[in-house]
Amino acid sequence: MSMEASELQDLSDDADYAASQQQGSASMMRSDSGKRSSPSEHEDAELIYLKDNVAIHPTQFASERISGRLKLTKQDSVLFLSWIPYKGQTSNAKLSEKDRSLYTITAVPFTEVRSIRRHTPTLGWQYVIVVLSSGLAFPPLYFYNGGVREFLAIVKQHVFLARSSEDPNVFIVNDFQSPLQRTLSSLELPSSLPVASGQSVYPLDGGSSNENQGRTGADIGNRVSSVIQSGLRKQKSHDPTRDLSIHLLEKFSLVTKFARDTTTQLFSENNGFGSVDKRWNNQPVHSYPEKLSNIAEEKHNEIRHSYSENDLLKDEEISNDIDVPADPLEFNKLSLVWGKPRQPPMGHKEFTALLDSEGRVVESKALRERVFYGGIEHQLRREVWPFLLGYYAYDSTYAEREYLRSVKRMEYATLKQQWQSISPEQAKRFTKYRERKGLIDKDVVRTDRAFEYYEGDDNLHVNSMRDILLTYSFYNFDLGYCQGMSDYLSPILFVMEDESESFWCFVALMECLGPNFNRDQNGMHTQLFALSKLVELLDTPLHNYFKQNDCLNYFFCFRWILIQFKREFEYEKTMQLWEVMWTHYLSEHFHLYVCVAVLKRCRSKIMGEQMDFDTLLKFINELSGHIDLDSTVRDAEALCICAGENGAASIPPGTPPSLPLDDGTLYPQEDDVL
Amino acid sequence: MPSRRRTLLKVIILGDSGVGKTSLMNQYVNKKFSNQYKATIGADFLTKEVQFEDRLFTLQIWDTAGQERFQSLGVAFYRGADCCVLVYDVNSMKSFENLNNWREEFLIQASPSDPENFPFVLIGNKVDVDGGNSRVVSEKKAKAWCASKGNIPYFETSAKEGTNVEEAFQCIAKNALKSGEEEELYLPDTIDVGTSNQQRSTGCEC
Repeated sequence: MSMEASELQDLSDDADYAASQQQGSASMMRSDSGKRSSPSEHEDAELIYLKDNVAIHPTQFASERISGRLKLTKQDSVLFLSWIPYKGQTSNAKLSEKDRSLYTITAVPFTEVRSIRRHTPTLGWQYVIVVLSSGLAFPPLYFYNGGVREFLAIVKQHVFLARSSEDPNVFIVNDFQSPLQRTLSSLELPSSLPVASGQSVYPLDGGSSNENQGRTGADIGNRVSSVIQSGLRKQKSHDPTRDLSIHLLEKFSLVTKFARDTTTQLFSENNGFGSVDKRWNNQPVHSYPEKLSNIAEEKHNEIRHSYSENDLLKDEEISNDIDVPADPLEFNKLSLVWGKPRQPPMGHKEFTALLDSEGRVVESKALRERVFYGGIEHQLRREVWPFLLGYYAYDSTYAEREYLRSVKRMEYATLKQQWQSISPEQAKRFTKYRERKGLIDKDVVRTDRAFEYYEGDDNLHVNSMRDILLTYSFYNFDLGYCQGMSDYLSPILFVMEDESESFWCFVALMECLGPNFNRDQNGMHTQLFALSKLVELLDTPLHNYFKQNDCLNYFFCFRWILIQFKREFEYEKTMQLWEVMWTHYLSEHFHLYVCVAVLKRCRSKIMGEQMDFDTLLKFINELSGHIDLDSTVRDAEALCICAGENGAASIPPGTPPSLPLDDGTLYPQEDDVL
Repeated sequence: MPSRRRTLLKVIILGDSGVGKTSLMNQYVNKKFSNQYKATIGADFLTKEVQFEDRLFTLQIWDTAGQERFQSLGVAFYRGADCCVLVYDVNSMKSFENLNNWREEFLIQASPSDPENFPFVLIGNKVDVDGGNSRVVSEKKAKAWCASKGNIPYFETSAKEGTNVEEAFQCIAKNALKSGEEEELYLPDTIDVGTSNQQRSTGCEC
């Protein structure tokens, strides 16, 4: 760790050197990590395969892509994989030698590889993701010149490679596991995106999690220099893994210190109630320090302890026998809400003021910010939601929107005709149609029927809901209908009060969230994986707890994510939350921060009661109706800002609601051969 | 005195969307029926204490989403199951035809140690609908299927009216217990020395 910068500059492109350095630095933290020898040192390795122009994309920016050479070597009948970035790639000044070494993959034996996932879109670059048996994964390796198939074919000549029965794009290495294991590994595959090894090598809580690392954490830490998040690149010192943690620790300690100060203030002066914050309007939050000062200014308003009313989330009942690792962010000790106080919802006047004379939204960001911090008055929702969902363009005029509506109305009628014209005779011969219709019929009559708008027999709105969903299943025949869609449609129809308009808003929403309902469930797995990464970043002890208790699949958050908390809040609150999330104001993935916020609220209950997977799932399901929206949104906001770039880097590109990376294959039905 | 120690019996309910899985579970555990159950998203479970031969057991009944697309999640929920309940709607041929899929999918994902003898129970639900006039799967047909799968116990129920639900679940619990006890042979820790009076229990002959 004390290595000189100049040394590193000189040698960082030398993979062997980098490996030995990493080994050295990791062993300072874990004395037993010296057991394995670095395979890269062997000179008599046989070169099996070499591919140039294979790149890693640490960020979404083209200028920060790192090209390199992918190699397969064989040594004592073990196949090794390495990827070495090119030396002196000067296209980007920001990309230092050090950064490149960070991503270097140094001779990973295939005995430690669990699977390889390939992406071979018809348009765009092919890439593979290599997942280690520890669950860690390397960032996607993009084959600029193609050749993924060839690569896999060569791997197959040397190690046992079996196609996953669940996903034809996943190849399981050394497939000697039980069927259950096999299924598990393929299921976890979407987790195959960049992993921060920082925490595992240098845990944030400094103590308890050290034991939990097991051998994999440290072993991987030795070699997996390349899986460090891109956020590191701006750090100064040499050991990247250390950097990330220190960086986070610094951030957290700032927050913690601030939080402590604030709490002290809160308890000493209780006069902040009712004072209205005047600053929310003119201070968009971009950077962390700025945010801190904002919070500081607002501390007088911070006396809401909404969660304390809530038995389910109370921490006091927890027995003291169990030592719950401290929250690095000291969330629940303080029961303090961090984000900005929620504003009153945006009204009509305010909205009109954001439009020019012809009806264009002058500055979409201002609108999104306003909605993010306060939501929208109900009557105004039908005007604003189409913007947030992307059905209306922000720069469209009143007249253009009017025109769009009429065109889309006709288009909707045509689409609807497609199934309305199916005669009973035709339906008899159209199993897929009958099945879909059957499923939709069953679901619309059990969607929000207790809610006034949809209650009662022969409810017209229920019929509209059915028509829209059936029409959608023709509009997007590949995706079809999936349970959960009616949960999304219900509030949209209630807000828009028009079948065609609701349909098109729903279409726009599904553009982003369709992958939630994909047959391969990849959209869901990617989000659950991103969530696990965020928890790892924002609450390492909790992450370690989940890891120890076999809860890392985060399936207990499945419902939260699939339908974005629709079943967790009452109707009105759901709409508030959705419009906040749909602004994509602080993050496209704000919903994941909402998940982290709720989990953090419950962390000491979860860990204190030593919940296992089942108990945890039950507990989470039963939180439904007991989560306070405002304070959760504020927590999520604070977490999102706190996580900053590291948070963004934890979320793999293409994670819904981000648009998929490769267009052509939105809803893959099948795939062909290796 | 009954033994205080409780044992967990895990039961998974599977079947097509809308056949009444959630309703059956709630009828058995809470003795309630509602028209307003929502489609299950993800999975949930209810527990109920049951007593057999002076021993208390906690029956943990898992209710899962019925749409095929969500099957891949099963792996997280099925593991450690002691019994699997397959449910179909007697008024829907499709839901009956899919039973094979559900059974096979379960065996693959749960990968029980002895798949041949893993206990399943079949329930044909919604016998109340339309006074039985809309029924399309006959009892005979269902029983033939059960016979072909190694004599799976079969019950016809109405979760709405509570018909036969208790009986079905008693059989389910018993089967789960049997499968659990076989495993206990390998786990000496869990053998209950307090069970001395081996009374013949009533219920299904499975």
